[in-house]
Amino acid sequence: MLDIFGRRAKIAFRRAQRNKNPFVFVADKTPEQKWLSWRKTKEAIFRQCGLAAIVISCLFLGALLFSIIGNGYTAFQRVHILLPVEFSADILDPQGTNDPDAIGSADYRKIVYSALLEIFPEATERREKFDLYALTSKGAYYQLRAMVLENPRLIGTKTELWLPAASNVDLFIKRNSLSTDDEIASYKINGRQYAWLKRLIEKERLKTTFNRALFLNGDSQEPERAGVMGSIMGSVFTIIACIAFAFPLGVATAIYLEEFAKENWFTDLIEININNLAAVPSIIYGLLGLSIYINVMGMPRSSALVGGLVLALLILPVIVIATRNALRAVPKAIRFAALAIGATPVQVALHHTFIYALPGIMTGVILGVARALGETSPLLMIGMVAFIIDVPRAITDPATTLPVQIYLWANNPESGFVENTAAAIILLLLVLAIVNAAAAWVRQRFEIKW
Amino acid sequence: MTSKDNLIKLLLLLSTVFSVLVTVLIVLSMLSETLRFFSFVSPLEFFFGAQWSPQTALRSDQAGSSGTFGAVPVFTGTVLIAFIAMAVATPLGLLAAIYLSVYASPGIRKSFKPVLEILAGIPTVVYGYFAVVAFSPLLREAGNALGLDVASESALCAGIVMGIMITPFIMSLSEDVMSAVPKSLIYGSLAMGATPSETVRKVIIPAAMPGIAGAVLLGISRGIGETMIVVMAAGLSANLTVNPLEAVTTATVQIVTLLTGDHEFDNPKTLAAFALGFALLIMTLVLNLAAQHIVKRYRERYA
Repeated sequence: MLDIFGRRAKIAFRRAQRNKNPFVFVADKTPEQKWLSWRKTKEAIFRQCGLAAIVISCLFLGALLFSIIGNGYTAFQRVHILLPVEFSADILDPQGTNDPDAIGSADYRKIVYSALLEIFPEATERREKFDLYALTSKGAYYQLRAMVLENPRLIGTKTELWLPAASNVDLFIKRNSLSTDDEIASYKINGRQYAWLKRLIEKERLKTTFNRALFLNGDSQEPERAGVMGSIMGSVFTIIACIAFAFPLGVATAIYLEEFAKENWFTDLIEININNLAAVPSIIYGLLGLSIYINVMGMPRSSALVGGLVLALLILPVIVIATRNALRAVPKAIRFAALAIGATPVQVALHHTFIYALPGIMTGVILGVARALGETSPLLMIGMVAFIIDVPRAITDPATTLPVQIYLWANNPESGFVENTAAAIILLLLVLAIVNAAAAWVRQRFEIKW
Repeated sequence: MTSKDNLIKLLLLLSTVFSVLVTVLIVLSMLSETLRFFSFVSPLEFFFGAQWSPQTALRSDQAGSSGTFGAVPVFTGTVLIAFIAMAVATPLGLLAAIYLSVYASPGIRKSFKPVLEILAGIPTVVYGYFAVVAFSPLLREAGNALGLDVASESALCAGIVMGIMITPFIMSLSEDVMSAVPKSLIYGSLAMGATPSETVRKVIIPAAMPGIAGAVLLGISRGIGETMIVVMAAGLSANLTVNPLEAVTTATVQIVTLLTGDHEFDNPKTLAAFALGFALLIMTLVLNLAAQHIVKRYRERYA
């Protein structure tokens, strides 16, 4: 292959230059040539800068996802300890009354303690017992209480039960790659507890299972019992309130502006107004919600209803803009045809244009919902940051939403909550991915290309 | 039929009026609370005072209960963090937009677009968590290696993470304005023998400059209104400094700290949040209107 200007020719040229070979004529570079090669270098540098910008943003996204998944994947599993539990009648129902109130207020800690002592009878001193009792979670007591209240005939029987381990034990076992004492101590586990845990593993009395509590429980002070169910229900109620308010209002506004409004100063004002509303910081909507909904209208503080109404104002411009674009994409011919067979302008707008624009409108609404689902700061203003254990059952109950729950857990310094936070973020990102995929699906499946 | 039509039309008009009402309500409610705040604290102190410690106003019977409300450190902090964010987002977003529209093969363009869409769709609370858990420790270690003392809630950390959040926004806006530059200008430059980078630097960017400036203004407006990243990653105490390695606070952080928890509406501590919010609203509105004006004039020039 003839390679006059290519790489090989260049290499031969340079070699000849370096060796000062008298048989090869090498001319000095002219200023023009130097200038040209400098321009080419600049071109390459500029191009590499562009590539670097892209690589940096990809790296950042990678680091973000990596750190969240790395912190969070362990939260989907929980360590349980198999204990020989004796539902002793002496502790649970000493008088033999069978009264649910008495059984409910019994001391379930003692049952767990005696089960632990049965496995490790060598713990006799106070301090040893204290270390031993710290191996199980408080959740174990609640679990036993719920079991007994559901089935009082358990009293007096003895069974082997899997009970949840304490948060630090849970983390320690799940990240079981520890060698030095320092690392063990960083989990607040002392030598005695370490020996016990080793024996539990040998006896196959420890297992890691799927963490159902994370999905089924409400919030809790103990990381091993805290779950996202409460905040997910809060998110659902909030979004329902938000759509119920924003969808009709936003669509009606868009239809009026696109189909009926005349071009005058009022329409211009509305146009500027809606464009600016879309750019108002979200926290301002929270301040508005606080002063209007709660102080003036007296709606219940911290409730999903107020949260939904605040988010509705936030996504109203999104819906209006999306709906207007969808309506504008419907050809004039449709409108003329409907008018020609005697439909009134309102009928044209509602029975024809609106119907044809519906897929585009739905895409916009779903994207608005995705934005509302991830929004946190306006909800902090209206008191949705309260610590709420109960799963909300109605739209007026105090609630949090998933992003607010993430914020609350992220503020908690306990290491068990770090992994819970990351797990909740994974869930939130999955939900958002599904919602965005839904929008893409609606667009592909239903949208009409004119 | 016509009466029903008129009714429907009226309903549509009413909902349109409502959307205007929202703006009026926002401005009015902020304004009234701000005026009430200024009945407690003089505007002179608020706008020019260098001391911000509202938390002393816990109980009315306490000594020194009034607190001090000089908002200068709060605003400098806000501007500092927004500035760092834009120092990250502008080159990154602009270069990425240029690379994608000039150099990238369709394959790269196709695979990189989703990355930016994901970055744009991640809730800010997630960025905040990342800043606290991963980025801040990293920055501290890097600072130690260089012999610098980086505060754990440094303005730099919040600013850089916020910059990454704004990058996709800047990128898509500047891609829009650059694609609006007439092709004849670009082809003319290339035909004269300019390299692609020379065409970008000497033809496309100067032609698209107003649009890019508009995008940067919108980015700043997002930066100063951004809440969750700074609430989680920036500081609470108001230091009057421009050193990016130290902790500063922002207006949004102060609003959140002043308004979470119980509040009564007759005390300057609560009302201060509304005054800050009002200032924030005015700043973002001015920035947005300026950006829209610039972009509109720019579009008219090449329309």
